[in-house]
Amino acid sequence: MTVAREAVVLPCVFLTVLLLGALRIADATVLVPPSPFALVLGALLLRVVVQSGALAPERLMSSSRSGLANLNGAVVLAALWASAAQTIAVLIPASGLPQLAGNVFFFILLLNTAAAAPDRRQLLRSLGVTLGAAFVLKFVVLHQLSAPGAGPLKRALHTILDGVTLGALIQEVPHPVMAYLALVAVGLFLVGVLLLPHALPRQARPHLALAVERGGPDPPAVISATTDVDG
Amino acid sequence: MPETTTRVLGLALSVAYAAFIGWLFVRQPQTIAQITGGLSSAIGAYKVDEQALADGLAFFRNDQFVEARMALARADPALRDARTQFYVAYSYYRQGWGRLSHDDRLYAEGLIAIDRAMTLATSGRLVVTDSDLKMHTAEELKAELEAGLRREPSDLNPMRLFEVRK
Repeated sequence: MTVAREAVVLPCVFLTVLLLGALRIADATVLVPPSPFALVLGALLLRVVVQSGALAPERLMSSSRSGLANLNGAVVLAALWASAAQTIAVLIPASGLPQLAGNVFFFILLLNTAAAAPDRRQLLRSLGVTLGAAFVLKFVVLHQLSAPGAGPLKRALHTILDGVTLGALIQEVPHPVMAYLALVAVGLFLVGVLLLPHALPRQARPHLALAVERGGPDPPAVISATTDVDG
Repeated sequence: MPETTTRVLGLALSVAYAAFIGWLFVRQPQTIAQITGGLSSAIGAYKVDEQALADGLAFFRNDQFVEARMALARADPALRDARTQFYVAYSYYRQGWGRLSHDDRLYAEGLIAIDRAMTLATSGRLVVTDSDLKMHTAEELKAELEAGLRREPSDLNPMRLFEVRK
């Protein structure tokens, strides 16, 4: 990984995700920071990213790096955590039963992913599918259910649905641009995760262990030498 | 570019960007003018449009309150000047004042504006020396607006008909 990517690109990408994900455009535009529970979910996602090897934290912060380099690494980690929380927050419905279900869904899903211990490639695929599905659920399915519609029949059905569910299902219809902002935020987040300094693939690790046993270069040096080729 | 330079620049950029996002979370600006005004006032470079302020005060003294607020909004688009916001609040007070009853909606808007002015004033103290006004401090104006919004038995006092607008 290049220095520019670590010091400039990754923090900017993750902070942009934080900014875009916080925007709530309505009659009055507001910026909503991630809720405490979203921060917990963000921490869980961070743990899964590290566990899978999509992020090798020792390549961002370690005693072998200079203080300045460690500061850069700390900024990347903090920005990654905040943006992970914000990405999840933007995909969770805003109120009622869908909000509760969204929170529980992400919580269980992240615990399940941690238990399954996927590798980097599997995690990236899984994240793409999960975040994409949550996006469709919130911005397509729930939006369609919540939009009152133009025809009298649809409006009547909407009123009945709202009454039957005691207002727990119907959401406030977001501004049309919100879906695009959320899509950009999620896409940028995935790009950011893809660009993170990652660990060696599992099949390559035995060679690394052998090199260490033979008194070869220390692990971080080998990791850097190997991953700089593709990263 | 040397590695250290890149790292220092990256760190500075990240900290500035994060501070900007934190500022947006706290201030919640609604327009681009409020963003640019807020940032320029943070470095002491924000200036009120004096001509628009003079226009606004002329309208205000002529009891053209809607026009006054338009001109004052032009003078202080970022809502960062305490004195201008004081006049905005005062315009809501004078427009909403009535001998028999007050306009609660305008008084509520006035209360928002005077709270904003008090937040912007240095150490919360705001005194406007203007001989045309009968209330010169933010506290007096705020108390008057709050009293106008309250429902009290004294509202039924017939002597109220002899009250004058401040």
